[in-house]
Amino acid sequence: MTVILEAEGVSKIYGKGENSILAVDDVSLSVRRNEMLLIMGPSGSGKTTLLSIMGCILHPTSGEVRIEGKAVTGLHEDALPDIRKQYFGFVFQAFNLFPSLRAVENVELVLRLKKTDKTGIRAEALELLKKVGLGKRSHFYPADMSGGEKQRVAFARALAGDPPIIMADEPTANLDSRTGQDVLKLLRDMSEESHKGIVIVSHDPKAEALAHRVVFLEDGRIRS
Amino acid sequence: MLWLALKTLIHEKGRMVITLTGIIFSTVLTLTQVSMYLGMMGNATAVIRHVNADIWVMSKNVQNFDFANPFPEDRINRVRSSADVVWADRLILTWGFLKLAGGGQEQVQIIGFNPDTGVGAPWEMVSGKPADVKGGRYFIIDKTAEKRLGGLTLGTLWELNENRFKLVGLSQGVKSFTTAPVLFMAYNEVHNVLSGLVRQNQTSYIVAKLKDRARMQEVVAGLRNSMKNNDVLTTEEFVNKTVYYWTVQTGMGMGFFLTAILGLIVGGAIVGQTVYANTMEHLREYGTLKALGARNSDIYSVIFSQVAISAVAGFAAGSVIILFLRGGIEKAGVSLYLSPVIFGSIFCVILVTCLLSAFFSIRKVRTLDPVTVFRT
Repeated sequence: MTVILEAEGVSKIYGKGENSILAVDDVSLSVRRNEMLLIMGPSGSGKTTLLSIMGCILHPTSGEVRIEGKAVTGLHEDALPDIRKQYFGFVFQAFNLFPSLRAVENVELVLRLKKTDKTGIRAEALELLKKVGLGKRSHFYPADMSGGEKQRVAFARALAGDPPIIMADEPTANLDSRTGQDVLKLLRDMSEESHKGIVIVSHDPKAEALAHRVVFLEDGRIRS
Repeated sequence: MLWLALKTLIHEKGRMVITLTGIIFSTVLTLTQVSMYLGMMGNATAVIRHVNADIWVMSKNVQNFDFANPFPEDRINRVRSSADVVWADRLILTWGFLKLAGGGQEQVQIIGFNPDTGVGAPWEMVSGKPADVKGGRYFIIDKTAEKRLGGLTLGTLWELNENRFKLVGLSQGVKSFTTAPVLFMAYNEVHNVLSGLVRQNQTSYIVAKLKDRARMQEVVAGLRNSMKNNDVLTTEEFVNKTVYYWTVQTGMGMGFFLTAILGLIVGGAIVGQTVYANTMEHLREYGTLKALGARNSDIYSVIFSQVAISAVAGFAAGSVIILFLRGGIEKAGVSLYLSPVIFGSIFCVILVTCLLSAFFSIRKVRTLDPVTVFRT
């Protein structure tokens, strides 16, 4: 399997001097296509910080992040939005959908952001919603949907523009057990069928059984 | 991103109503103040602008058209002696009292003009002709005075400073700054009958038309040199002097200006507050957009589009309200000067105020760290 995303010797220190906190400590990690990688660990272990660094949202204090072998760590802040647009889809614990937009429009929004040619965007958004099993709920507003449905919309949005990497932060945290299981299966299917590299940060023990690979983080370091 | 701006705006109807209320308030207040001010300045300078003269000669230190001082009328010969002058004429401006049918009286502004040349005559007649005032105790009065003076029927007799005059014509659109009714009569008749107001051989203004307006400054300089006891002004200078007097010297302009600014500030504050509250409420979504690859400029365009859409809708509604109220306001005797230029200018001011009010929202978005989207 091809490595698509790598973190090498990545550290992150918040604050300065005596009050500084070492959130991520010399972590090296790679993500491959067709793989669902699960990062587990207790609260405060640095999981979300690591996810943010690997997702090019946060600069590491030291170390390097590479996408398809190319280093992105040293790039200027202005270059990062384009990198995120091209390579990443994100799924958040609190869904983060626009309440004023229908399900299809939430997906469409990202397509509008990513594509210069706006033709066929609506059809593409509908197709993505069908893919996550929400074809018939595409015109509902988030407020009228269940937690599981909202998370599926978030998945469809993450898939918009066909990014090779999906980063999911606690995707089952706000869902009931059964819906959480469905969502994790969906993510695994995505990795296998769409040849994507998927990184999940989760406390959910069910995720462990479905992930291709599991990494435990403790005090900012990978526990071997 | 106009699409997202519109969707968000329409979805939050309550907030949109508050924003629009602020902009409508601003628009109505600013448009009313500006159009009222311009209407009053238009009235104050109406006669000067309609006489069709290039040069005005008056007593020293006359501050505005309404407060003229008499001076010897034979000075017209000095004006006529200039080779650059096509014609020159005299104009009297004075004040009198018109007795009303009920026994009361009303102060009126009297303009004495030459009915042979028509210089200084009313420029728009509803009935009768300016020349009808010639040869007797006749007068024309503006129709807008009807409410104050009672029925204005042609042929009726009126008492002006204890002299009987016959109403021979009705003009339209001639209002004075002081709101006193404007009455026109023959120049000679003011001397003959109302000599208590302006003595024989005296006049209020001498007006002149030039052959070549390009030589205006030379002619004015020449006349100033030869008429040391008078002020010689171009029409534009006299208009500006009159406007300056009413606006600055009386402090009235400041009153209008402050009210208009207050309207803009209150409207801007309402818009700024609702836009800021809207931004704060959507901070997580904006952070999500940033995480998904949106640039700050993409999010700025959403906020600015929302503000611009609100400004257009609020201004349009405010303008409709003004146009709807205009008839009633003018009926009450207040002149409103409204034109496409006024609407365009006020719209630009409202739009800029609204965009400026979005400044705090923009600052919030600029400093928004997309990492916040991972926090619950």
